[in-house]
Amino acid sequence: MTILDRRRFLQAGAWSASVLGLAPLGAQAFPRNRTQRLIVVAMAGGVRTRETFGTPDNVPNLMRIAQQGVVYPRARASNLGHFGATLSIFTGISEARGIRDNARGTDPTLFEYVRKDLGLAASEVWVSTSGGVQEANVSYSLHPDYGARYGANTLDGDGLFNAEFKHLLDTYGRPAEMDADELALLQKMRASMGSQDGSSHEDADAAARVERFLMDELRRGTQDLKGLGAADAKAFRVARNLLAVFRPRFLAIVARDADQAHGSFNNYVQILRRNDEMLGELWDAVQSDRELADSTALLLLPEFGRDADLNSRRGLDHGDGSDDLNYVSLVCVGPDFLRGESVQEEVRTIDVCNTACALMGAEPRYARGKRLPRLMA
Amino acid sequence: MELGLESPSDVRRLLPPGGAQEPARAPLDPGSLRCLFLDLFGRPPFEAERAIWIGKPRSEVVDSALGTLEFWRTWLDEQLFYFLLIDNFRPATEGVQALPAQLAEGSIGALEALHRICLSSSFDRRNPGPDTFVTVVMEQLLGLEVQRITRELEIGKKVYDGGRGTFLGRSGSSQADVVHIAIEDRRAPRHLLSREYERWTRQAPSEQDLSAWSTVLERDPLAMRSILRAWLLSRAYDARLGTRVPQPNRLFIRALYVDLLGRVPDEGEAERLRSALDGLANSGPLRSLVARLMLDSGKVPLPGRSSIPDATAWIAGLFERLLGRSPRAAELAAFCEAFADPACRPATVMYAIISHPEYQTW
Repeated sequence: MTILDRRRFLQAGAWSASVLGLAPLGAQAFPRNRTQRLIVVAMAGGVRTRETFGTPDNVPNLMRIAQQGVVYPRARASNLGHFGATLSIFTGISEARGIRDNARGTDPTLFEYVRKDLGLAASEVWVSTSGGVQEANVSYSLHPDYGARYGANTLDGDGLFNAEFKHLLDTYGRPAEMDADELALLQKMRASMGSQDGSSHEDADAAARVERFLMDELRRGTQDLKGLGAADAKAFRVARNLLAVFRPRFLAIVARDADQAHGSFNNYVQILRRNDEMLGELWDAVQSDRELADSTALLLLPEFGRDADLNSRRGLDHGDGSDDLNYVSLVCVGPDFLRGESVQEEVRTIDVCNTACALMGAEPRYARGKRLPRLMA
Repeated sequence: MELGLESPSDVRRLLPPGGAQEPARAPLDPGSLRCLFLDLFGRPPFEAERAIWIGKPRSEVVDSALGTLEFWRTWLDEQLFYFLLIDNFRPATEGVQALPAQLAEGSIGALEALHRICLSSSFDRRNPGPDTFVTVVMEQLLGLEVQRITRELEIGKKVYDGGRGTFLGRSGSSQADVVHIAIEDRRAPRHLLSREYERWTRQAPSEQDLSAWSTVLERDPLAMRSILRAWLLSRAYDARLGTRVPQPNRLFIRALYVDLLGRVPDEGEAERLRSALDGLANSGPLRSLVARLMLDSGKVPLPGRSSIPDATAWIAGLFERLLGRSPRAAELAAFCEAFADPACRPATVMYAIISHPEYQTW
């Protein structure tokens, strides 16, 4: 059964089950649509609408992209710390997590729903982040029915693609190429030890592709992106390159640099502008590829906003309970969506999980969000 | 002053009821020694250390370790990682840098060390603004779920901003007071002991034990060393030695350096590699890549094929050193057969072991 056939099958199954009262209506996929690939961008450093749609000059690319889709300016967010609030977008459940929690959640993520229900390989689901060690935890949960075997490949561009790491690798030179005989002997030795990780030949092949991608990426110069907002810029650049190499069905970007707003409003705005440039580059790459352009949807939102007023350092914290903090703007653009719409109805950031699953034909069994209203054309 | 719990009977006072036993006297095998070193020092033993400690009782290694600078450096690194004070946020202040030496000589207690970490400018930079700062202090120092006590958070934020308020039952009026008050809260030693016990033994402590240890630490701020000693000699730690879990990237890197290069990585090497590996949800491919780069770099002291007179003994020795166990018969046969083929280099044998998931557990 091909992936597409399986997807059709699952969609039909979801419809049948719903009609028979076996599944909640919210579990239904959207009617048959053209969306085959999905990009979710979480501007997860806390971004107010005032500095985006309220100041169009900061985000010309976001403005032009949004005009092609639907904007929800009243997406309700929860100030659960950056990590918890970001995780909530992907689980569809408000996750009360410690700000410095460095552990996986117990609720399945969007990536797990999609991989399990659509039977997708790991190489088809990616997360490109800038948040460091914590963000790798969004890739999968500890849920017994889901977990690592359905997780997304997660890649923190700033951790991997920096000049110091490249220099360190360079000090060891290049690995010697193994000829077929040596490779066979290596595999024989490893096989005698048992594959304790349960990995299959397919997994090994996928791992080898990832290894090649990492080496190629180090040569492409992603590590040369420097300066304010470089970590986010790398996350976007890596995402663009992942699209070109793996053409994943699902790609998430988690950008965290905007949180520098705590110390400097000006730096925050500069980061937003740089992210906007990178977003434009990513979206143009999608649009310039006919296959991707016709089949890719984009959902973009911050995990929460920021305070209404500047702090004593002329920065912006996040903790005043204001509407600036609690409401963000969600942008949805794709081949099946309405164009040029602004929906004033209140939605929630956790609705992204249910909507994305519905678009892809997966069932978010534990998510508590809803599908976004007035989205589809 | 320290409790001076040096005798077995003193140790028993800190052990869980029903879990008490004489300090572990069974001779250490290569596997237990490797795990113990990874726990104590964040690295496997060097060749010379293996020669000294294999066959000795665990208590001797533990007693030797707890007074060393290296042990407390490793302990501090774990705490800094817990607070995510890594990379650019790693504290460079003298106060924090001095902690391992002071902990080793017993002039400062574990809670006071956390206190100093939380007062560092790095902690402030890592947790900017009143909301983040107070939330992290409450969560990380006290184990509180802040969303359930938002009133306390609001008071803490007011105190942080210089206003007078009664935070966690005590009066304060500054950012530093937020930390002082939290450290002096009775939940601070309890939370530290709970998470530390789980880290060392891979199991949660019972309420009864936790209360007993908390009382000891409250009475004697320097008692952490004695408590750690008791844990490391307990049945719970015996049970931990019987389990294997995947190594975090920082441990894998240090183990790889010691096993291949015979040295620990310097701070820069360790941070760069950890940061890169932590950037991947599945760091397996990059771990393999780094191992291969090292093995093929010419920097790893590998014997030439011709200088290995007894391949069976060499392979068995590698298993013991790198995995802490002897090879099973089928493994030894497969490795020997493969190594008999001229296409198989000594580096290939090393790579087969090091890239295997078993090597990456402890």
